Amino acid sequence: MKKIILSLAVVLVSLVSMAQKPEYYQAMGETLGQYATCKSVADFHALGNKFQMIANVEKSEWLPLYYHAQCYILMSFMEQDATKKDGYLDVAEKSVTSLLEMVPAESEVSVLQAFYLVGRLVVNPMERGQEYSGLSGQALGKALALDASNPRAQLLKLQMDMGSAQFTGQDPKSFCPQAKELLANWDNFKPKSPIHPNWGKDQVEGVVKGCE
Amino acid sequence: MKTAVIIITSLLFSLNVFSQTVVTGKVTQEKGEPMPGANAYLQGTYDGTSSGENGEFRFKTNKTGTQTLLVEFIGYESFSQVVELKGDTIRLHVKLKEAFNELNAVTITAGTFEAGDKKQAVTITPIDMLTTAGAVGDVFGALQSLPGTTVNGESGRLFVKGGDSDESQTYIDGSLVSVPYNSSAPNLATRGRFSPWMFKGTIFSTGGYSAEYGQALSSVLLLSTNDMPAEDQLDLSLLSVGLEVAGTKLWKNGAVTGTLSYNNLAPYMSLAPQNYDWGKYPESATGAVSVRQKTSKTGMFKFYSSFDNGSFTLSQENLDAAGIPIDYRLKNGNQFLNASWNDKLGERWSVNTAASFTNNTDDIQFDQTAVAKQTQGTHLKSVFSYPFSEKLILKMGGELFSKKFTQNVQMPDETHDNSFLNHTFSGFTEAQIYASTKFVTRIGGRVEYSDYLNSFTVSPRLSAAYKITDKSQFSAAYGWFYQNPVDDYLLYTALLKPERADHYTFSFQSSANQRTIRVELYYKDYKELVKLTGGEFYLPTSYNNSGSGYAKGVDLFWRDKKSIKNGDYWISYSYVDTKRDYRNFPEQAIPTFSSKHNLSVVYKHWFGNLRSLAGVNFRYSSPRVFNDPNSTVFNGEKMLAYRSLDLSWSFLYRQNIIVYGAVTNVLDFKNEFGQRYSNNPDANGRYPGAAIQPGSNQFYVLGCFITLTRKGNANQLDKIE
Repeated sequence: MKKIILSLAVVLVSLVSMAQKPEYYQAMGETLGQYATCKSVADFHALGNKFQMIANVEKSEWLPLYYHAQCYILMSFMEQDATKKDGYLDVAEKSVTSLLEMVPAESEVSVLQAFYLVGRLVVNPMERGQEYSGLSGQALGKALALDASNPRAQLLKLQMDMGSAQFTGQDPKSFCPQAKELLANWDNFKPKSPIHPNWGKDQVEGVVKGCE
Repeated sequence: MKTAVIIITSLLFSLNVFSQTVVTGKVTQEKGEPMPGANAYLQGTYDGTSSGENGEFRFKTNKTGTQTLLVEFIGYESFSQVVELKGDTIRLHVKLKEAFNELNAVTITAGTFEAGDKKQAVTITPIDMLTTAGAVGDVFGALQSLPGTTVNGESGRLFVKGGDSDESQTYIDGSLVSVPYNSSAPNLATRGRFSPWMFKGTIFSTGGYSAEYGQALSSVLLLSTNDMPAEDQLDLSLLSVGLEVAGTKLWKNGAVTGTLSYNNLAPYMSLAPQNYDWGKYPESATGAVSVRQKTSKTGMFKFYSSFDNGSFTLSQENLDAAGIPIDYRLKNGNQFLNASWNDKLGERWSVNTAASFTNNTDDIQFDQTAVAKQTQGTHLKSVFSYPFSEKLILKMGGELFSKKFTQNVQMPDETHDNSFLNHTFSGFTEAQIYASTKFVTRIGGRVEYSDYLNSFTVSPRLSAAYKITDKSQFSAAYGWFYQNPVDDYLLYTALLKPERADHYTFSFQSSANQRTIRVELYYKDYKELVKLTGGEFYLPTSYNNSGSGYAKGVDLFWRDKKSIKNGDYWISYSYVDTKRDYRNFPEQAIPTFSSKHNLSVVYKHWFGNLRSLAGVNFRYSSPRVFNDPNSTVFNGEKMLAYRSLDLSWSFLYRQNIIVYGAVTNVLDFKNEFGQRYSNNPDANGRYPGAAIQPGSNQFYVLGCFITLTRKGNANQLDKIE
């Protein structure tokens, strides 16, 4: 019962804010809808451009910048050329830095920061491993401290732990119970609005599938 | 629900869909190449789109009246144009101009090996130093795998481009390290005092460096220490030659690390065959504290202090007494202090301030002679930089080097007490001017005044770089470099002037897809080198500045991290042609420290299934010359060529435990560094000699590194991978 009231309240609050800025919510909703169709660096580039455009208008909203950074991080993962990868991450870094100033207590932003740092790490794990695994671990730690229930923070932590397990002779499957639990509880976490970050369930499903 | 909202809002907004304007156009670069992915939109609205593959864009808008169309692309100046929206179609051709950006602009690489994490042309990093097989964890040893250097097995120090080892200077966080090497016995190799773990970046400049650096004729090595550690941790290193414990504690915006280490070569040296007899095996104890504190959003304060004590007794044949062994005892004490602060002053000014202090004492005893040496060095430096624009950055600063050197020699029937105190004041300024992202020049100058020598010098410095393509560039550097004569001469005379070298460097570098190639040609003109007149060493007039010399050569470097999966290798080759007439040389001759041909091949391979990083390093230096006093030809003898094949293996046992092993000269090549001779002729009028051998033909080391954190999962992998 309590949960229903809570979720109703969340919906109401978001409806009210949506009513105040219908154009913003519409633009965000439409742009977010295009995520699914993005397949290439160019697609994400175009999507990032849209979020940039919205961010330019909505200077007090953090979500457009959040998705803008995310697009560029995803681009860096899809790109092969190391120099270009860093170039995309330079763009993402700017947005992440602004976000950290704008909403320092937002758990999702710290998750994004960790994600960005992982992007830097994978460009050159040999040379960046030490510094960036530490930094992204710190960012995740902050994300979990701000909101221990944030499933994206838990997902990233799980992926990092499983990644390093491969190298240390530990069985990555020992993290499977954790992954299953995360998937089972995934839907309990309610985003504050339809345009708040809500990604990651596919990845956990992938992890759980890999366990079988 | 989301759909509902979208429908409602769409309904609200579709009410005014009456006059739609189509904005279309093509985005190209200045030269006409189409630019896909540019963001074209009406300022302050959500109406816009990205350009497609052919640079074309097209979007519809319901806005009317006067609007501003913006076209943006990262790295390009944004385009804006006022448009009148009247319900028809607007077509535009947008040309975007590349924006000036210091990060993408050309950098001067002549003479410089720079390793910063985000630099495009990474050549060697601190991780490389740790994993280069032949270096066995020594900073200077690792640098000897780079072109421009010559291995001198009896010294272990850096010899750069035909220069002597004291022509190179080492800086940590901007301030000078007066005594960067451990004290060693004559003709035995030494190592650097600092662990590569301490550093996050290195710049090794083998010539033509900025006006910011003085008092070095050949090279400067700039080491920057790690920033904030990520978490509290305890590091343990257990090696076959010693052990080390380091603890790190964090607080808000700051951290402290305390390190204690103890090395004793007795167990190792008594097992492994040695070429010399040690009366007392080398032993040393070090304590160090380092503090890092963020002073503001942009500011960082770093402090490092270390106390080091070492001793040994080595037995060497006394060639002046029919080869009877005599003991050479050495006790070294070294206190080093280093502090730096970097921050922004206001919007534009930035400041780097650094200070260092060294107190180094060596107490040496051999035969009936006791020598006590003390070096007290202080270095203070401040550099300010101010960007007048993105394309013009001015840097200026001042420095003070103070050095007091004292030497006391006691022999049975005589005593010598000598010392000198010198202050060198210097000021420098330098402008970095970008004509475009493709062309940069750096023009500067430096003045120095030394009070002990009463000398005043002016050093112009000039360098430039031109980017031919995205991946390739030419770079050139020219400058005058001054350095005060070595302590051994200044003890007895103040009549000398600083020695001088003029550098001419020209280099080409191309870097793409994790492969780098570099070719560098250089010429060095040595002037005003110290010459001994042949008079008594303690007379000030026995020294003058009439020496001279030259060094010229070519350095080649190739690094490839791409071609071999999980493999990374580099090849360095240097050709040096050098002669000089200085010190006690009777004529112009090749100095003993220079090899004509120098080759180093480094290979590293990551074996994922074995969780191991293996390293191989081969080095070759062609025979160097040495002088036989029994011969009439000066420096007419040749040593053996130097060859060494070194192996290392790092195994990640657990996430926080690395096991490390290394062997140098695994094929047991015979390396000898010429001969040393008696000071006085024997009864037959000959100077007896003995071969100078390395301390041991091979060196083995085994170790284990453990990191403990609260979470218990610190990732050692990254350290070795």
